[in-house]
Amino acid sequence: MRNRKLLQLLAAILAFGLVAGACGDSDSSDEGSAETTAAESTDTTVELNQDGGSILDTVISRGTLNCGVSGAAVAFSETQPDGSQKGFDADYCRVVAAAVLGDAEAINFVALTAAERFTAVQTGDVDVLIRNTTWTQSRDSEIGMDFGPTTYYDGQQMMGRESDGFSAGSDIDDLDGLTICMNAGTTTEKNIADAADAAGISITLGGPFEEYDAVVQAFLDGTCDVITTDGSGLVGRKAVQEPAGENWIIFPATPISKEPLGPTYAQNDSKWADAVNWAVYATIIADENGLTSANADAMVADPPSAEIGRLLGGEGERQTAMGLPADAFFQAIKQVGNYDEIYTRNLGPVGLVRDGSANAGWLDGGLIYAPPAR
Amino acid sequence: MSGMITVEEAEEVVALPPEQPSLPPGEWIRKNLFSSIGNGVLTVLFALLLVFAFRGLVNFAFENPERDWDAVRANLRLYMTFAYPLDQYVRVWVSLGIVLSLSGLSAGLWSPDGYVSARRISTWFLGGGAVLLAAALAVQGQLQRDENGEFLIDEDLELIRGSWASGLGSRISWFALAAILIGAGAAIWFGLGDRRRNTFVRTVNLTYAGFGVIVGSLWVVRYGHYNGSPAEGTHYADPDSLVAMSTRLPWTVMWVLLGVSYFVGKAVRGWPLLKPLALTFWGLLPFFVFWVVLRDPDIDWAHVWTTDLPMYLAFAVIGGAVLFTLTNPSLGEIGRALAFVLLLVAVFTFVGGFFGWFSMLQKARLSFVFLAAFALVANNFAGEFAKRRTFVIGWLLTLGVMHYFVTLINSASTLNIRSDSFLGGFMFTIFAAVFGLMFSFPLGVLLALARTSSLPIFRLLATTFIEVVRGIPFITVLFFFSIMLPLFLPEGMEVAEHGAVIVGLVLFSSAYLAENVRGGLQSVRRGQYEAADATGLTTAQRTGLIVLPQALRVSIPPLVGQTISSYKETSLFAIVGIFDFLRIANNVVPNQSSPINFVGHKREGLLFVSLIYWIGSYAMSKYSQKLEKKLGVGSR
Repeated sequence: MRNRKLLQLLAAILAFGLVAGACGDSDSSDEGSAETTAAESTDTTVELNQDGGSILDTVISRGTLNCGVSGAAVAFSETQPDGSQKGFDADYCRVVAAAVLGDAEAINFVALTAAERFTAVQTGDVDVLIRNTTWTQSRDSEIGMDFGPTTYYDGQQMMGRESDGFSAGSDIDDLDGLTICMNAGTTTEKNIADAADAAGISITLGGPFEEYDAVVQAFLDGTCDVITTDGSGLVGRKAVQEPAGENWIIFPATPISKEPLGPTYAQNDSKWADAVNWAVYATIIADENGLTSANADAMVADPPSAEIGRLLGGEGERQTAMGLPADAFFQAIKQVGNYDEIYTRNLGPVGLVRDGSANAGWLDGGLIYAPPAR
Repeated sequence: MSGMITVEEAEEVVALPPEQPSLPPGEWIRKNLFSSIGNGVLTVLFALLLVFAFRGLVNFAFENPERDWDAVRANLRLYMTFAYPLDQYVRVWVSLGIVLSLSGLSAGLWSPDGYVSARRISTWFLGGGAVLLAAALAVQGQLQRDENGEFLIDEDLELIRGSWASGLGSRISWFALAAILIGAGAAIWFGLGDRRRNTFVRTVNLTYAGFGVIVGSLWVVRYGHYNGSPAEGTHYADPDSLVAMSTRLPWTVMWVLLGVSYFVGKAVRGWPLLKPLALTFWGLLPFFVFWVVLRDPDIDWAHVWTTDLPMYLAFAVIGGAVLFTLTNPSLGEIGRALAFVLLLVAVFTFVGGFFGWFSMLQKARLSFVFLAAFALVANNFAGEFAKRRTFVIGWLLTLGVMHYFVTLINSASTLNIRSDSFLGGFMFTIFAAVFGLMFSFPLGVLLALARTSSLPIFRLLATTFIEVVRGIPFITVLFFFSIMLPLFLPEGMEVAEHGAVIVGLVLFSSAYLAENVRGGLQSVRRGQYEAADATGLTTAQRTGLIVLPQALRVSIPPLVGQTISSYKETSLFAIVGIFDFLRIANNVVPNQSSPINFVGHKREGLLFVSLIYWIGSYAMSKYSQKLEKKLGVGSR
């Protein structure tokens, strides 16, 4: 008798389980997760993308762009006292958001460490990664990233004191017997060691230093004769930390390494790649043609050339075919600005001069170049 | 005299500590500091060391060209709440208001009877004033600047400082504050005369007054000013304005709220059921504040009517019926077997969901777990109808609260968030510590019980878990949860990083807590178990009523030690890229070149963060000392 009751109860539980199971899986949040959004069909695999699900569609349906930045990189992405992001990389996130969504502020900035940045792209946490990330062969091929157009050409340089005999013409040979400091375990360290070997000089590596702040501090203390990192980092520190009475010199004129920085996204998603790439190209073409955020309204009414007309969404525009709004690049330029505006606004104050650098336009002898919009 | 006055009536209570003979100062110094030549030398040496260390610290923190305390002042909001949207900031204040109201209410309900003697208050004032005075005297001369505001340097590139007196000149406010403190201390000391030893003030009143003084100072002292938006350019300390403009009014409201709720609590303390209700609210508070107030979920009512509510009703009715059956005293061992079957079903729903065999609402899975838990303890509630009814009502309420919170968690937030999380800074540290403690404590107790269980399978699982977790550094656990875990999860399942690291913290600290509790369990004598068995208690009753209370009492010191270290371990979140308190000081602020240039200003932030961590840890440590004294650990 009792056993039969038990069986009935068991049957009821099982039936109940099946009914509950059939309710489907619309919310799969974890019990302990602090804040979990409803699961999106994040396109992390090649198969999904080939089925036609592009990140572009995801971003448009979501209405915000998840953009990976550093959040702690001087002039590239700085977290402001009110929590917002400011800087060159942050502005390129805004360019993409303005182009895709029509609103430069429809962004969810995800601040990432160097260790998590690629995982964040692979798992779909971020749609695009604009976090001073160098374009390298291994990252492009093995890690499953695709790289967009380079927005900033950086390269490793050295910084020493004028009082120690350094000048703008100094070279790697002048480092013989000196103590050189850099972040431990980075390619920076490998580059300088290789360069010293090639030049046949002996240098002492200071440190090890876990953080760049500590490197600069050691340079200020005089523990290090010379420090080395990417040129943008050196210039930024010189601009804000050089004590009175000292003159810090950055050399050699030609960096000892190539560090092209630009947007990065998951591989094999051409639709999304096109959207990001052409948003960047649009800022460069605008710069080449004198189109700025200030005169964008005037130029859309009366385009100076057919190319600018097409770029701003006039007759013959190509944006709609890409899955973007016709006025995508008009919004990007209008709301954020062209390449020169973004550069000057963010990198100017820390002393990174564009003229004469690799980041000048191609007509001025630099490397910033965009394919034609037609 | 003291027998005539009840504790509630009097602010000043004459207690009866034995009057200790106090030595005259000269005698005291001779006896304690210079009792022999060797001791005298040691005293002098260490006093000198102390003086130089103190002087070094003061001059490291202030009057140093590398220090710019605006780096902390201008970023106070970032430190406290990171990127919480400004237009919704009232939610932060509402949360704080709820917490403080409940604190005041609880203080009124329980009316803790702690007292501080006037003598001790006086020595606090005198000591604080003396330290401040010493700090003001220890500063170096002011750095000299030229007309452009640049620091002057001599031919050796050393900075030129003015005379010592020039340093003192800029510290007028320090001297003033020191004078006020010393004056107040002396007034209490000499004003009360011999009565200072047996004049007492309630700790509650003293705390409230101290809080009031700090809040009041916001109206006059320039701590740091944050107001407006970057677009308006009004971020920063306006040197001529009153500081903390944006926070002084809310804080004053908070202070009043605390006081009012205290009196309300005092007025209603005789009412029945209020204390357990308050405790329940404390338990639900972190969840409520987090998901309802701070996150502001946008509830999809159509989904609630079509899915959530029917599911709740189904579980409530069928689960209630199952539990009512299980509490039937004549069911016997079959009830227990059934409960284990339910547990298996609950585990299976998770395993199946993880491998994607079938899809199922998370809420259904959790409901099965809760049902299984209730079923497992059901036979403790077997008995007459009223007892069984109470148990089923308990099930309905628990299930309701759980479904309510899961619905909230699954609803999108309406906040206009511009970063990956609305939580960061100190607010996140607090939530991580609270959630970590809330979940790791029960888990730790369960693990300890399992490890001392007589069932080998429990022993094996618990021992394996504890030894594996204790053998791994915390930072490795964090890396696994923040970076590796997303790669292992099945398609479509995602865990927010903030949640994942808290899970890591819970697992890690529960393993250590389990060992602390196990130590306590071992101190419970055999006879206690036997006596419980002889009385006819079930295993669960024996554990809950006899063994655990004694074991936990003994484990208080190590448990608090573990709690303090969990609180501090939240700072390791900074390494896996969460914008907690430490990361803001260490990475974010030192990389701000605009609107004000704080590049390289790391030490101010680190000092500030250390101070806040120290205050939290010290408060916990003090509280545990009190708890130990109250429970008589060490004296019994």
